Amino acid sequence: MAHVVTPLDQPSNYKDSQARLDRQRQNEILARSTTLYIGNLSFYTTEEQIYELFSKCTSPEEGGGIKRIIMGLDRNTRTPCGFCFVEYYTHAEALACLRYVSGTKLDERIIRCDLDLGYREGRQFGRGKSGGQVRDEHRQDYDPGRGGWGAQAQRLEIERRREVEERYADAQEGPGAVAGGGGDWKEAGTADNPLKRPRSPDDQGDNERAGARARMDDDHARM
Amino acid sequence: MSYHGGGHRKRRYQGADDHGHDHRRDTFDTPEQKLRKSIINLGEVDPVQELPRLANDIRAANDAALATGGPAIPAISEGFRIGVTEQPFKIPYYAALLRLLHDPPADPEATLPTDGSPTLGKQVLEDFWKGFQAFLDKLAWREIRFCIHFFSHCTVAGLVSSQTMFELLRSFTVVLQEFGVSHGRAMKAGLCAAEGLMIAGPIMLKSGADVTEIITAIRDYSESVISTKTLVHPVVKLHEPSPVIEHADELLDSALAVLNALKAEDFAQTADSFAQPYVDFPAFSAAPFEVPSVLVPPEVIELDGLTTETGEDAQVKKEEWPAYFVRLFDNDVTPDPTTPSGYAIKSAILDILDVFEVNRKECARLLLEYPKWTLQGTFKPRPGAPEQEPVPEKNWQLENTVIEVTLGSIFLLPESTYKPIYYITLITEICKLSPQTVGPAVGKSIRKLYGLLSDGLDVEVAHRFAEWFSVHMSNFGFAWVWKEWVPDVSLSVRHPKRRFVRKALEYEIRLSYFDRILKTLPEAMQSPEAQCMPEDAPGPEYEYDDPSKPYHDAAQSLLSLLRGRTKAEDVVTHLDSLKNTISETAEGDVNVSTVVRTIAVQSLLHIGNRSFSHFLNAIERYLPLLRNIASGGGASTTGSSNIDARMDILNAVSGYWKRVRNMVVIVFDKLMQYQIVDPTDVVAWTFVYGEASTSAVGKTTFDSFQWDVLKGALDKANGRVTIARKKVTALRKEADDNAAKAIATEGAAMDVDAEAKADVMPVAESPALTTALKAFSTLTREQKAALSRALDGFVGYLAAADKPNPTAAEVITEDAWHNRVNWNEKQWETWETWCWFRHFCRAYSPYLRNYTQSLEEASVSKIGPSDPAVDLFKKTWNIATGQDI
Repeated sequence: MAHVVTPLDQPSNYKDSQARLDRQRQNEILARSTTLYIGNLSFYTTEEQIYELFSKCTSPEEGGGIKRIIMGLDRNTRTPCGFCFVEYYTHAEALACLRYVSGTKLDERIIRCDLDLGYREGRQFGRGKSGGQVRDEHRQDYDPGRGGWGAQAQRLEIERRREVEERYADAQEGPGAVAGGGGDWKEAGTADNPLKRPRSPDDQGDNERAGARARMDDDHARM
Repeated sequence: MSYHGGGHRKRRYQGADDHGHDHRRDTFDTPEQKLRKSIINLGEVDPVQELPRLANDIRAANDAALATGGPAIPAISEGFRIGVTEQPFKIPYYAALLRLLHDPPADPEATLPTDGSPTLGKQVLEDFWKGFQAFLDKLAWREIRFCIHFFSHCTVAGLVSSQTMFELLRSFTVVLQEFGVSHGRAMKAGLCAAEGLMIAGPIMLKSGADVTEIITAIRDYSESVISTKTLVHPVVKLHEPSPVIEHADELLDSALAVLNALKAEDFAQTADSFAQPYVDFPAFSAAPFEVPSVLVPPEVIELDGLTTETGEDAQVKKEEWPAYFVRLFDNDVTPDPTTPSGYAIKSAILDILDVFEVNRKECARLLLEYPKWTLQGTFKPRPGAPEQEPVPEKNWQLENTVIEVTLGSIFLLPESTYKPIYYITLITEICKLSPQTVGPAVGKSIRKLYGLLSDGLDVEVAHRFAEWFSVHMSNFGFAWVWKEWVPDVSLSVRHPKRRFVRKALEYEIRLSYFDRILKTLPEAMQSPEAQCMPEDAPGPEYEYDDPSKPYHDAAQSLLSLLRGRTKAEDVVTHLDSLKNTISETAEGDVNVSTVVRTIAVQSLLHIGNRSFSHFLNAIERYLPLLRNIASGGGASTTGSSNIDARMDILNAVSGYWKRVRNMVVIVFDKLMQYQIVDPTDVVAWTFVYGEASTSAVGKTTFDSFQWDVLKGALDKANGRVTIARKKVTALRKEADDNAAKAIATEGAAMDVDAEAKADVMPVAESPALTTALKAFSTLTREQKAALSRALDGFVGYLAAADKPNPTAAEVITEDAWHNRVNWNEKQWETWETWCWFRHFCRAYSPYLRNYTQSLEEASVSKIGPSDPAVDLFKKTWNIATGQDI
């Protein structure tokens, strides 16, 4: 089904301009991606609002769900700057968002969704000169949901906004700054899960191997 | 009509494969691609007028192809195949086009081989048939059905033999008589036969076919599944033993009613219901295409041989249910789907919803353009379009019809075909395309549904109604005329209308924020006494904030440790000493363990309360602490203290987020994800403490919050089994592939007895596979436990021998239902509990069926002696698990 209309879940022209991968490799990753870039958010939109809308595309009975949300922050002020990443457990859920949610309103703004290569350390911060998103550097219009005028005028408003937005003042950088959201289910009593619960008698035997396996899976996931 | 108006932009119909990533193709289409595209684009302006020109173009293209090599038949029939299966509304016109291609060419010399070879049309039809065979082999039901529409129109046009076409339809009714046929398969096959007969009936009747045979087969099937219908009707009447007739129409039953109506008048109404652009052409006199006889292949069930520890089949077979579409408007506003033209329109709209799911924006456009493909006078002309003489008994409202069918699709039980959000944002797109005409239709639909809330609208349907309402309003400035519902504020707070208002507003707040939504309400609904809005803006409720509260100091000391990122082990040590301190100073009957756990969990939530990711960071940093608490703390834990500890954790969460109940669901989800608690714990919590979070402990009623929690837990348990199964399958395949490779290598080296060797040397299970199989058996055990606990919960609420619930028996009687205006809160709550139990049974029926026997032994056995409540409980259970009732 694709001869008559273009499906909305086809990859768009969105890309991570700083990705150091060749185009083919990027396409392979996107074809399995579970992460979405969400753009044109209001600076005031919360993760809970995002969760509420994006949970409508989850398939928990298939082992899916929202893994985590990473709010895009102004590099300097540590305040939301109008984008975020939503990571699911399955690729199908990310595609469902492209079909059903991209182009609808969240917090009264039309948002856009794109498949993303996946979160990497540092990507939670804006890349514009002033710390926010590059697009807000060049913007000429007045946009109340995104700090009013472009970067120039925005600086004047920072004081006022700080009160509302000190939420992320504690945002960290570096490895481990962003939570993972919980991985796949693992057998209790393995090395990964020492405090889970006492071993039952029929648990003996494979534990070490299973533990090693689980650790391998973990390394895999981290790559 | 002005639907044909100037709004057509050519690019819209360009195929996706034409403007993909390879831009060279945009400029250089091969002749085959051009040909295919021109067939697909039939009818951009006016299908009837375009037909002769397109037929000539196709001939010319075929001639050109013949001159340079081979005929263009494959390209032409592919164009037909795509056109028919992806634009079903054009099918009658494709039949007409094919009819034209059956004529001998106007200029006989243009086509070189005239030596009695079949006409171009016949060659295309023969090639098209092969494509149909392929769909049939794959059991691609949607494509099969559209091809049958096409063949049926071709039969009326004289191109296909009526006798053999009838045989084709009969081979689909054979499916209905298969032993143990699944409802999904039976319904799809039944619709193929029924819709084929609706279209080709007039000609079949003339050729002496016994059309009653098909009708009888469908009727017999429909009657055999009558009991399942009571469980999926969108309007609940608990006292009714047979399905309710009003407010909704079942799809296959509608088709059956239509066939009966058609037959009563010798299919005279077919011409009035389906476009037949080919009837104006001269009668086709040559020999028609003889449809080869076919057999509908059996369903392929992938047997992975995975069973649970106790040998139950763990495979989930999604049994489909009868499809009831809710009816909102009168027959003069939207067509009645049990009449021939009503069915034709509504099923065509359903098909557009289904085919164009990949692109809701295009779907919205096509829905509003749909009148173009219908018979003159079907829909009222758009405002501003030239006046026309209204056709009696037609002249329906397009927008109301489209919205009614779309909402009907959202509200299908137990679940919609696609996620509700698809249909929800589709309606948004339709509204954006034509706000002045669609807006009122949406408003009227909302009012009709709101009205149905008093008449037994199913709780799950009401749930989806609130979801649609809130998402829709969030796209249109939250502009709803709330004041018309102000009088209903006087109803019982548990009345479905009040529940709806409260829930819709709660969902709106989640998508927006408290003050924004408060502003949209009239004063009478803003006041706290009206109980429409929550009392305050959503926020956390840390029990120890106030210095005058007990344990304030203890909590503060813990908070500062957590904020200072003290290591988990040290926090555990601190908690142990805290426990000692509290037990020394506590007065009266205090469960010190519970107190310490509550302080710990709430403090952890407190440091992570700024956002979802703050919460994740907090618990991820303190997972060892949470595990310690969940295991009962300390080394000397026994089984029973574990469950207490986990209930304490869940209660602490629900207390902390008592004013933001969706946060409870979110936090529970992550606690299960991090394996702090198990799904079964959450299920147990739902029934033991779920209701207590809003009112008194010990209540035996179940509401939509409890449903959200229960669903979260059951879906988690089921989802884990799904993942585990996939893992086993993948690893087994990998092992098989490796074994095959090994045999191949070995065989190449020795080339003797390779096969015999493979037989005697079983491939050793890889450690990964062993682990995966072990995980699978653990997870199916967990799945069964969670389902069993849920069923137990409902038994306890509604039908337990040791805890009789008189209200449960009272609200299901007919007298009580008719007296519902006088119902008190408890009665409404109990009615709602029944509804959620029904939904539990039908929604999880594929899983429950796998464990029917052991669940019955464990839970159903606790049911009391026969009384109305017990009987209804058992009947519901039996229907859902596919047992005789």
